[in-house]
Amino acid sequence: MLNNMKNTLHPWVIKKIGRDWLEYVASNTMNVATEAFDPFIWTYDCKAKIVEVRQETADTKTFVLLPNQHFKQPLPGQHIELTVDIDNTGTPVARCYTLSEIQQDTVSITVKQNPDGKMSNWLHKYGREGMILDISSPRGQFVYRDQEKILFISAGSGITPCYSIYKAFETQINQPDVAFYYRSRTPDETIFRQQLEQTKNDNSVDISYSRHSEEEKTSYLPSQLIEAYPDIKERHIYLCGPEPFKNDVLSYLDDIGYDLNNLEVEHFAPLQATSQSVDSFTGEVSVLLKSKNIRFVIDAKDNDKTLLEAAEANGVQFEHGCRSGMCGTCRTNLVSGEVNGQQLGKSIYPCATYPASAELVIE
Amino acid sequence: MSHSSTSSEQNYDEIHQAFEDIKTKHRDDLGEKDIRYIKKIRRYSRIFEVIGRGLIWIMPGPLALIGVPFLFLHRNLEAIEIGHNVLHGQYDSFEGIPQFHSKKFRWKAPIDEAAWRQEHNGIHHVHTNVYEKDPDLNHGFLRTNAQVPHNKWHYFQVPIYLFFVYPAMLYNFNAQNLGANDKFRERRFPLGNKGYATFENTEELTEDAAKKRHQRAVWRVWAKEYGVFPLLALLTGSGFFKVFLANMLADVLNNYWIALTIQATHLTEPLQPEDALKSKGKWYVSQLDSSVNFKGTRKQSILWGHLNYQVEHHLYPDLPSHRYPDIAIEVQEVCKKYNLPYKTNKNWWQAISNYIGLLWRFSFKRSASVPLEPSFLEKEASNAK
Repeated sequence: MLNNMKNTLHPWVIKKIGRDWLEYVASNTMNVATEAFDPFIWTYDCKAKIVEVRQETADTKTFVLLPNQHFKQPLPGQHIELTVDIDNTGTPVARCYTLSEIQQDTVSITVKQNPDGKMSNWLHKYGREGMILDISSPRGQFVYRDQEKILFISAGSGITPCYSIYKAFETQINQPDVAFYYRSRTPDETIFRQQLEQTKNDNSVDISYSRHSEEEKTSYLPSQLIEAYPDIKERHIYLCGPEPFKNDVLSYLDDIGYDLNNLEVEHFAPLQATSQSVDSFTGEVSVLLKSKNIRFVIDAKDNDKTLLEAAEANGVQFEHGCRSGMCGTCRTNLVSGEVNGQQLGKSIYPCATYPASAELVIE
Repeated sequence: MSHSSTSSEQNYDEIHQAFEDIKTKHRDDLGEKDIRYIKKIRRYSRIFEVIGRGLIWIMPGPLALIGVPFLFLHRNLEAIEIGHNVLHGQYDSFEGIPQFHSKKFRWKAPIDEAAWRQEHNGIHHVHTNVYEKDPDLNHGFLRTNAQVPHNKWHYFQVPIYLFFVYPAMLYNFNAQNLGANDKFRERRFPLGNKGYATFENTEELTEDAAKKRHQRAVWRVWAKEYGVFPLLALLTGSGFFKVFLANMLADVLNNYWIALTIQATHLTEPLQPEDALKSKGKWYVSQLDSSVNFKGTRKQSILWGHLNYQVEHHLYPDLPSHRYPDIAIEVQEVCKKYNLPYKTNKNWWQAISNYIGLLWRFSFKRSASVPLEPSFLEKEASNAK
């Protein structure tokens, strides 16, 4: 009964009080009792509760999530990372999912069941209303940047970020000139088919169905795109889909002389475990600052800079003081990745450490 | 008196290494002991809170005052031994205690944590006693050395601080950390902020955002102390004003206690050279030269948040405070070996009276003609010539 009450109360609280005030009240009333009473609100972690599960196609479900107060307002096209300890081994599995819809207080992820996928199978099997999940704040650079003419090119479940940006235009006053190209195998497998067909009247959405094999796709795609969008070179393109599809489109765009600076591609490259030796790290470093939800890339040539200097060069501010590892003001915790220099267990001193792996996640 | 070779660069490197060795030793030793300590202090704080609020609520009329010392103990432990030390990140490296991680911790004090960390850890602890850099040299508008231009407010600085500022000392910190004090000096002082450290808006807060942070930090304390608990008392048939006044008394005592503690831990003379930071050895020496300890037992030290080990705290601000008494012995050995200043007042009272004497001296204009006392680093440098 208490759980039912909480299920009704949580959406109400987040709607009425808002995340900002909820954070203020919850963080200042955190104690053993409140944490035990409601671990969804009285927590230090970003969590979300499943409030609705919808069957989109035979193998695709949409999960509507109500995130708690630690969640930052997302932009259409961004994704979240979902972390679940699937096997109860203490080493949780993490996967990224694009936010397919963004509502006032909720966000949705649309998950296609992948026969070999750990997380998608788990979600399809166990995900139900009332369940609480560990999520990250929204991330990603695949977001609309006020261009006037745009074209979405997507395939399969790659439609989700495109659809999310597309849907956000509905409520916008100055709508850009949008074209939407979507490739799916069969109508039954088409995610958001109904929603897309409703808006199809204005001719901006093309859904192409094909059961072609991978080889045939390559020969089939170019002619289709150039016919469908004669002004393709004037449009900013948002591309998202399975790797082979993306590669085909990329080489095609290159062939027709499309300016690739106008292209946004969504990558879901999994975090690579780094085995590079700590002393000889020379590559580019991607840094994620979890608390601020900022991602930035340190150029290979800047590898001799401290983490603090490199962040500043990217316009990212760390709390800091002495810049020489003495005062401890910049001290923060390393979530994953490796650094060189001054560290203490998981704590690192950005002003006196150097990145030593391709991917760094800092608290 | 002066050690002839102290000023050589090589010697400063040695000094640096000696202090680093102490740091490394204690860092390597961090563990369960520290987690147990901070949890124990929190447990005591909770117990004192229950006893204090319980007595204030149950006891009739003036007898409710019996609860005030307990409530004071709770608020004091939370404010300094827990709050101040946790916000230095002393417990950040321990997993499983997110409530004591500096960026997650919420203070039961009317001070915004993020602004405090930036001002206190990032500026005061780095530029200690540096003219126009260290905001703790003035805590508002105090004139604590002859270099600060004198104006008519300074004639009254002793009574103003003793009677009006110290009883609400903690409420002054947001003004210092979020910019309100700068505006006051700009408006009231002929030379504005000349001679004072000003707010470095590192978070690039808008004026509204800074104000909101300031107010939220205050209201969380007021809502609890002067809203929720008095109202609970009213609803259960106990007196609203009895609880309100008792809580206010505990609040004032807590503010005064902390004000006197922090004011007694820095000698505001000599001022330190700004470039001490360029050499780590010199930075350590400038921290030694600007901090002063006062003696107390282990239990007393907890009530002072171990700020009476100010020297050790300024050398190693992010080592857990309960280690300072042990570290002090090692620091004193290094100071003896290299003939470095290690300053101590023999008790709290002497520390306070020294400080108030100094405030009195600099409230008068004539002190402007007194030559500045040079810092240890400057003396060494001129001896070397």
